[in-house]
Amino acid sequence: MAVASLSRLGYSYPGAPEPALDGVDLVLEPGLTVLAGPSGAGKSTLLRVFNGLVPHFHGGRLWGSARVAGLAVAQTPTRELARQVGFVFQDPEAQFVYGLVEREVAFGLENLGLPAPEMTRRVEEALAAAGAGHLRGRAVATLSGGERQRVALASALALRPPLLALDEPTSQLDREGAEAILEACLRLAGEGHAVIVSEHRLDRLLPAAGRLLLADAGRVRAVEPGRLPHPPAVVELGRRLGWQPLPLTVEEARARRPELRPPSSPPYPPRVRGGEIAWSLRGVAVAPGPQPLLEAVELAGAAGECVVLVGPNGGGKTTLLRLLAGVLKAAAGRVQQRPGRRAYLPQDPTALLHLPSVREEVELTLRRAGERESADRVLASLGLQAVAGRYPRDLSTGERQRAALAAVLAGRPALALLDEPTRGMDGGARRALAGLVAGLKAGGTAVVLATHDSELAAAVGDRVVEVGGGGVRELGPPERALSDGSLYATQIGRLYPGGPVTVDGVLARL
Amino acid sequence: MTSPRRAAAGHPWAPQPRALAAWTAACLLLALGTSNPAYRGLVLIAGLALLVRRRRPGQPLRPLLAAVLVAGVFAAALNLLLAHLGDHVLIRLPDWLPGLGGRLTLEALGFGLNAGLALAAAVLAVAPFSLVLEPHEVVDALPRGLERTGAALGAALNLLPGLSRSYQAVAEAQALRGWRRRGPGSWAEVMVPVLLTAVEGSLQLAEAMEARAFGSGRRTHFGARPWPAADVGTVATAAAAAGLFLAGSLAGLLQPWYPYPSLELPALDPFGLAAGLLLLVPALWPSPA
Repeated sequence: MAVASLSRLGYSYPGAPEPALDGVDLVLEPGLTVLAGPSGAGKSTLLRVFNGLVPHFHGGRLWGSARVAGLAVAQTPTRELARQVGFVFQDPEAQFVYGLVEREVAFGLENLGLPAPEMTRRVEEALAAAGAGHLRGRAVATLSGGERQRVALASALALRPPLLALDEPTSQLDREGAEAILEACLRLAGEGHAVIVSEHRLDRLLPAAGRLLLADAGRVRAVEPGRLPHPPAVVELGRRLGWQPLPLTVEEARARRPELRPPSSPPYPPRVRGGEIAWSLRGVAVAPGPQPLLEAVELAGAAGECVVLVGPNGGGKTTLLRLLAGVLKAAAGRVQQRPGRRAYLPQDPTALLHLPSVREEVELTLRRAGERESADRVLASLGLQAVAGRYPRDLSTGERQRAALAAVLAGRPALALLDEPTRGMDGGARRALAGLVAGLKAGGTAVVLATHDSELAAAVGDRVVEVGGGGVRELGPPERALSDGSLYATQIGRLYPGGPVTVDGVLARL
Repeated sequence: MTSPRRAAAGHPWAPQPRALAAWTAACLLLALGTSNPAYRGLVLIAGLALLVRRRRPGQPLRPLLAAVLVAGVFAAALNLLLAHLGDHVLIRLPDWLPGLGGRLTLEALGFGLNAGLALAAAVLAVAPFSLVLEPHEVVDALPRGLERTGAALGAALNLLPGLSRSYQAVAEAQALRGWRRRGPGSWAEVMVPVLLTAVEGSLQLAEAMEARAFGSGRRTHFGARPWPAADVGTVATAAAAAGLFLAGSLAGLLQPWYPYPSLELPALDPFGLAAGLLLLVPALWPSPA
């Protein structure tokens, strides 16, 4: 039975020259629907049609037909549609009203005027369904990103909506947090809810998806996984090797994996051979709070080398980067760097943007750094030439992320420090980032990258270092650190234990 | 004695918003209804004790105390420099200094300190609404006509910690892009992004509230707290303090304090002292296990 149906639906934001959605025909039924597509393709807009935020909150012009649970979206205010559609936003920080978990979950129920005993029942039920029952009495401020997103999911479920829409719910989360929220989605879909998830991390969702949709330039169509522009690694490998049907999981791929030639010797050739030491930490201790977070840290990186920091949230990755950036002082030990500019990309780099155009943001960095290079090189490498003249904060989330990257990494910094640079990025932007980092390395820039994204670590890293438990631990080159058995293994790493960790690595050894 | 939800969240017991309102009203009555520094001092101690024992975990007290101290010292200094009344001369400034010239007296300093004391006591009597209670507890206690405005206000208060983090991150990252503090104009590169981010955060929050049926109609409350003995006791002691103070005042027992022309110690009365000591009660309830 259809929960929602869209027919020839189109929508334009106020003042926008092009429609954000155009000619969308779609019927949603119980089960899991996955919505993929590049940033700016209209995914968030489409999800907001279901609960009427588009057009009632955002304004603009809607045409065609959109019905949810029998209600016409154009004629029904969002506060009424909220009973039918639960919504989870990208950023767990930005959607909380109250400071306590159970109050937060009850907020929607209070708005509906439900009596207190009924609210208590529903809050318990929703927290359990979202896998967050144990968080009930906690203060929101004490929760991790993954826990917050589970509470947001419970808040949506408390209204008992027939349709649940999640807009890139894992884009701000570490691996563990993302796993938990996707598990909850899969469980809910299995229990008969209609769940539509817009997502870039498709490896866990694809095998369970009843339907896969691809948004592209405002149009939405059903596709096979092999038609995705940036599919998960095992799908990409199957596609490149011409397998039919394509594998959706590592287990499915394992049965058909081809034998590989022995690796060139040595087994893990260092990607960078003994370049000039660009930075070093000797016996360093850091205590941003009352207790030391990191102690006796011994670490160094060479010019042209990319060191990838992995580890749990709160383990000290960001602290280490801030230490190297010079914005945090070491409590003990020595921090040394060769002379030159340091480029630092914070976790939310889009917050930096304030000038009238993307190009001006890049030019500001180049001017300040005293570099004569044109802004075009970095704009082109990140695929931003088409939007170079636009106001950065009017861009889609992914485009904005790339604009911030360009603004920070322009020119030739001696040291580039990147804190979770792929948060919220689509596959194309991640590929562009990998290219940009490769260009920086080739120019002699030392790169230190903190990430939960194992695929990025495999693509650009020369060494992987685990940060956590009060110190750091060398895990070795990506071929060892991201292989099967590791907490940080890539899909390909799990497919070929002890072997390559990227699709290109497999193809090179066939 | 503690609300189970508050205890589960790791918060100490705190008075109900309405019980706290009764206590605050009694404090303000004593702090502003008399010029006697002894009673004002008792209110100050009661406010400080409540904040020390009952404030939410992670709520810093130092910034508030620093602000109160600065305001108190400013009030005292202002009166010292401008009043020129009283018998005990501390120092004499040249007469050609406009407004300031003349004798600076112990009495003027005492009067100024007393005014600063009243200000500090009043601030500490009101501060528990933000440092002790959760924003939603205040919202829940608002009258029906204000509940939607209150929910929006409570949500806005939740954005403040994010704003502070955003400021730090932007200032650090802009500094590494070459930004330097060069007068007020240079701050635009930090403050504009921080403010734009705050505005965007507010819009996202408004969108999230709308998506959860905010504005549907009459709201109900999930977290209606019971009235345990501690809250009843808080209201009772606040009422008793106000009653004693009013009775003492009406009977002419509570003497005002006026330092001019010659400074004297304030007169004390059992009614006023008892009223002030009763205000300490909410800070003295035993903490939950």
